[in-house]
Amino acid sequence: MKVLDNLFAPRSVCLVGASHSEDKLGGVVLKNLLGKRDLKIYPVNPVYDSLMGVPALREISALPGADLAIIIRPAPEVSGILKELKGKTRFAIIVSAGFSEAGHDDLQQEVKKTAASAGIQILGPNCMGIYNTGSGLDTFILPSDRVPRPKRGNIGFTTQSGAVLSLIFEYFHASGTGISAAAHYGNAAGLDECDFYSYFAGDKNTKAVISYLESIRDGRRFLESAGKLAAEGKPLLVLKAGKGHAGQSAAFSHTGRLAGSYGVFSSVLRQFGITEAMDLEELADGARGLSVSKANPLKAAGRKILVLTNGGGAGVLAADEFARRGIELPPLPAESERLLREKLPDFYGFGNPFDLTAQVRDEDYGIVLDELHPHYDGFLIIALSAVRGVTEGLAGILAAFSLHTVKPVVLHIGTDPVAGTIAAGAEAAGIPVFSTPERAAKVLGVLLG
Amino acid sequence: MAEVRNELETLLSFAPGKKIFLEHELKPFLEGLGLNVPKGIFIKGKKKLVIRSISLRFPMVVKAISRDVRSKTEAGAIVTCIGNLEQLNSAVHRLTDVKGTEGVLVEEMLQGGIEAAIGGIIDPQFGPVAMFGLGGFFIELAKDVAFAPAPVDEAGALKLAYSIKAADALRGIRGKPPVSEAALSKAIVTASQIIATGLFTEITLNPVSLFHDRAVVLDAKAVRG
Repeated sequence: MKVLDNLFAPRSVCLVGASHSEDKLGGVVLKNLLGKRDLKIYPVNPVYDSLMGVPALREISALPGADLAIIIRPAPEVSGILKELKGKTRFAIIVSAGFSEAGHDDLQQEVKKTAASAGIQILGPNCMGIYNTGSGLDTFILPSDRVPRPKRGNIGFTTQSGAVLSLIFEYFHASGTGISAAAHYGNAAGLDECDFYSYFAGDKNTKAVISYLESIRDGRRFLESAGKLAAEGKPLLVLKAGKGHAGQSAAFSHTGRLAGSYGVFSSVLRQFGITEAMDLEELADGARGLSVSKANPLKAAGRKILVLTNGGGAGVLAADEFARRGIELPPLPAESERLLREKLPDFYGFGNPFDLTAQVRDEDYGIVLDELHPHYDGFLIIALSAVRGVTEGLAGILAAFSLHTVKPVVLHIGTDPVAGTIAAGAEAAGIPVFSTPERAAKVLGVLLG
Repeated sequence: MAEVRNELETLLSFAPGKKIFLEHELKPFLEGLGLNVPKGIFIKGKKKLVIRSISLRFPMVVKAISRDVRSKTEAGAIVTCIGNLEQLNSAVHRLTDVKGTEGVLVEEMLQGGIEAAIGGIIDPQFGPVAMFGLGGFFIELAKDVAFAPAPVDEAGALKLAYSIKAADALRGIRGKPPVSEAALSKAIVTASQIIATGLFTEITLNPVSLFHDRAVVLDAKAVRG
């Protein structure tokens, strides 16, 4: 059994601060816990004998023991509750707020100390805990009719912020992106992203991990845990908030003036094969790309990209996005260009972006991709289905290409019915699809590491 | 690593209480660790002596050594391209008047290399980290620098160096041959080992002139922990 199994897939849970009403946080969590089959729930409530049909305990002393405890009681009570839980559980999610984030660092230090002496590993405080599609566990204080849960999938997700959690969940739900599990750790007095990277490294349902970070306690430990993911071939995509800090501006030497903690962080990430998203949209889109694509950024050979388009403007916008990221689009090899000129109309644009123009035919995409496949590391395909030449048949051509390559392929396409059919076929074949050229370009950048 | 620590402890033991170390103090130490520095002579004090002969080759460079100066170029504390004794004497006299001068350093001038900045700091999140960037314009305006947890080995040093945006400059551009990877990595590894001792809180070798066959430290600064 893995170290955090009792946290991610408990067989029994004790809910301290349970309520019968969904108007209260303790009721929302109880309702969400009821969604997991085969979970023995021990609600603790001093007044009621049963809550939502589950027999309740009047006090913690009556608890026989549980894999996991969830605490939703006012901050000053939490330390005492942990003392009572000593010997009865090894993990506690502390949902309660009112600790360091509200200026009560003393309460947080006390909770930390008590938990350590009670032999309980804590998640939080000021956190929502775990959502695990594999085990069905949902400890969130968010009602599922307000924040829809993503479906079962292959992305592991850690976040320090609850707001980011709900935004990502909405995006994942809307785009059909699936997750293996999500962990929200709030004030991070106990478990943090490093523990979850280690967990996801060993979790067979997780293919890639995305992580929203505000602060890092120990850079060396962060790199070591991220290294465990890399060792398992699982890419890590990170969004770090607080990029603007000026850092040690008063330092005497050049090195000190240039450092700044974000600069160091960002630079170290690059050398350790961890990909950085520049904003929330890139984190979410990148997750979608990692989830759908067969390509693995940890195995990318280079960053030579081909843009293949049937619309000049869209191709240039994609090229501009690559330029902003310092990625160039190398011209076609002379021999390939000669061969393609023999097969295709001479008014096509034989450059990079390669422009199939409005007179495109589906099969031309296949001709260009097959010829240029050996010469590029990643492919951005733009298929604007406003013209007759682009049909549902393109889906099969792109799927056939995707089947024979491990290099990343990303598609930008519109939203009309023909585009919808092509998009569905492409996604099923491991080609992520995005609605603007820039978003598609960013994701291809993520997939190339 | 052990050798670096020993040498550094020796350097510090000769200067108890000294916080900031400048190039005339660091260069012999760096040379002892196997790095190249230009041939030079440190003239201590503010005496306006007249130099009639010197064992260095022209062209030369003269620098005022002052703990009050952050950038020698900005403070007018450096004269380059000195071609004869007359120019040398005039430069030495002028620089002894720079604020806080403890003496002047006369060195043989090297030209044609690619200028890099190599160093290390103690980062609040990662502890000791090594730094690499290209000198001059790149570092001042483009902030094109990279960091790695220190100490780094040779492979880590090259990974660090090539992770900057302008890494192509190291591979040889505009008719210049590629820089010596052995010399480049030696300089980065040494700086990373120095910062990893924790005895300095900052060290910067800037510029380090990179050639196809060697790397030469032209200036250096460090702050004791």
